[in-house]
Amino acid sequence: MSANIRPSGVFDTSYAQDIALNRTRFDRLLANGLFVLLLLIPLLTLEGPFGLNILPQLWIGTIMRIAIFVIAVQGLNILVGYTGQISLGHAAFMAVGAYSSAIMARHLGMSFWLALPLSALFTGAVGLIFGLPSLRVKGFYLVMATLAAQFIIPWLLRYPLEPLTNGSRPLDVPAPTLFGLSFASTGAMYYIIIPLSVFLCLAARNITRTRVGRAFVSIRDNDLAAELLGINVFAYKLQAFFLSALYAGIAGCLMAFDTNNITLDSFLLDSSITMLAMLVIGGAGYPLGPLFGVAFVNLLTQNIIPALVVPVRDFVPRVLPFINTVNLYAALSPLLFGLALMVFLIVAPRGLAHRWEIFKIAWKIRPFSH
Amino acid sequence: MATITRTFNNNRRSITTGLYVVAVVLALIWLLPLIGGQRPYRLVQSTITGLLVGGIYALIALGIVVINKASGVFNFAHGWMMLLGGLIFYSFFTSSAAGTVSPAAAVALSLLTMIMVITTNGWRQLMQPRSLAILVIGTAVFSGALLITGANLQFVQALLGAALGGVLTGLVVERFTIRPLIGQPLFAMVLMTLALSELLHGITQLIWGSVEIPLQVFTGVAQLGIPSPIRIDGGETLAGTIIIRTELLIAFILALLAFGGFVAFFRYTSAGLSMRATAENQKLAQSVGLRVRTILAVAWAIAALLAAVAGVLQGGATSLSLNMPLLALRAFPAVLLGGLESIGGALVGGLVIGLVQEWANLLFPGSQAGTELAPYVVLMIVLAIRPDGLFGQKRIERI
Repeated sequence: MSANIRPSGVFDTSYAQDIALNRTRFDRLLANGLFVLLLLIPLLTLEGPFGLNILPQLWIGTIMRIAIFVIAVQGLNILVGYTGQISLGHAAFMAVGAYSSAIMARHLGMSFWLALPLSALFTGAVGLIFGLPSLRVKGFYLVMATLAAQFIIPWLLRYPLEPLTNGSRPLDVPAPTLFGLSFASTGAMYYIIIPLSVFLCLAARNITRTRVGRAFVSIRDNDLAAELLGINVFAYKLQAFFLSALYAGIAGCLMAFDTNNITLDSFLLDSSITMLAMLVIGGAGYPLGPLFGVAFVNLLTQNIIPALVVPVRDFVPRVLPFINTVNLYAALSPLLFGLALMVFLIVAPRGLAHRWEIFKIAWKIRPFSH
Repeated sequence: MATITRTFNNNRRSITTGLYVVAVVLALIWLLPLIGGQRPYRLVQSTITGLLVGGIYALIALGIVVINKASGVFNFAHGWMMLLGGLIFYSFFTSSAAGTVSPAAAVALSLLTMIMVITTNGWRQLMQPRSLAILVIGTAVFSGALLITGANLQFVQALLGAALGGVLTGLVVERFTIRPLIGQPLFAMVLMTLALSELLHGITQLIWGSVEIPLQVFTGVAQLGIPSPIRIDGGETLAGTIIIRTELLIAFILALLAFGGFVAFFRYTSAGLSMRATAENQKLAQSVGLRVRTILAVAWAIAALLAAVAGVLQGGATSLSLNMPLLALRAFPAVLLGGLESIGGALVGGLVIGLVQEWANLLFPGSQAGTELAPYVVLMIVLAIRPDGLFGQKRIERI
């Protein structure tokens, strides 16, 4: 599945080399260089310490949003892409992470650094509870169980827990501090979110290469065969649910502390569908899938569709006079998003990451075609 | 972890049974005082409203079951199909009443529907003179029927428009989204219907905007002398007046009639019988000469038609709004409760979900517990105790 083709003359002489993520020096340089470049971006914007105005300030917020959603979708990837269990409740788990960390910070006076792991573990525990139906049911029935989670959790947060969560109204979250330094400014959270996102992606990549990860894949490919091989299917499914919810919890917590203001409306069913769509568009079961998917969907909803609104408003009503142009963005974004997802499902069901692998192999073996 | 799960696996049956008993006892201890504290007429009122609401749930559930039986797909976009049908009905209803039905819209709707109907077995059908003749005649008849002006015709015209729109939606959806995915895993199918719901969301927004439209279709009832709402004095035993909203009652009766009509179709007509045969075993049905492809298309058309009917009834009972898709999602617990393959189960499940919803609204006021929570709690209970539902076939694969 992954491209194991290396440049001529690169051989493994030890086990450590064989299992290394980056096989060649060039790969390593590229990965580290990209990471450093990513960290340098805020320094080149107007609000950075040097006020350089080389890159637009908007990039910072966009990259942070992408990084947060990469964490969440990476969690979904573990559950859906590797273990093959469909979940429609991922946004609800994000809500659990966001609200539990916010409550810990507001009511228990915890710092961000304590609230992050605790809320992540708590979300993981909630994920375990809703993973329990996988003991008895699978396939469509499990979809329904996670759909129930997607409705039950926001209801609990909205009504019975209203004194803590502010119900339907937004909830303020204090900015994190470290040794008296506040992370309240726009770019400061960048240096928490980006390293964490990179670390969690690497962690997910490594989890899927261990015994646990191989068990996940075997359950996805054939659960009966996995059971016959002596894999404790139920235990591994629960682990997948736990890990997936853990990632969602971290993403939710980061989102709460990044925006400093959370509402339940950002964690509804639509959000779960969007995350599943990100995963499919990016490529389920590929380590890079979440990154591609989140970036693509972000590009589509934040750049392409707003750019289309004006030409559509000017030209389409001449051809189709019945078009309602009052709120064209609200109409075009689900329309084109659904259309993009359909096209990917029919034309490229393995997503952008698969295309990327094909491209990489073609590049490496050129000028030959095989 | 491993030891815990091993002990759990070894004593699975006894542990789960014990847990159910404890849960039921606790639930009764918690709920009985709540029920006892209610005034009797309110309990009766909630029961009646619940049954009436459940009728529409049953109709929605039937649409989901029909598609599932025929093609093994769970249509998460059913709610948006309802809204689309209801909105098409609304557009024809208002423009027909004003005598301003757009000829272009009428012809386009008829033509597209006829094209989709004719090409069910392949696009080549368009080349045959006989099919072309049918196409022209059908388009002329339907668009003519939509364009005739006359007193009190708007109801019939709007129904025809919604039916054409429903059939068109069903056929287009089947042809362009479901057919290319045959043989793909469940995940792809689930995501496809979710993508479809996004797409239909966009289409309804694009044409009608985000409006809330109360469909005034049941206003003729007042002329027949039926009061609205109907008030029944409970007398001394109930100590209160029971109020039944007439729109809801009519929607319930029509929903049950539609339900009965479709069940009769499946049971007594040859088309319905061949659909059931296909649902039972596609290869076997093919080997006795049934056209499986046509039958799948017909199943989707019928389900979309059911969605349009349910959308019109629900729009008349309350209003056409973006709440309708959420309402349709609440029919999934009904489907699961009744059993995925069971048509009768859809009726029972729908009524039960309606009842549970209204009772929860009564017992836990001020928190939307009935509409937002109760159906999904029922869903979790069904999944935990009896995943194949009350009347479903015990075919699900256990691990």
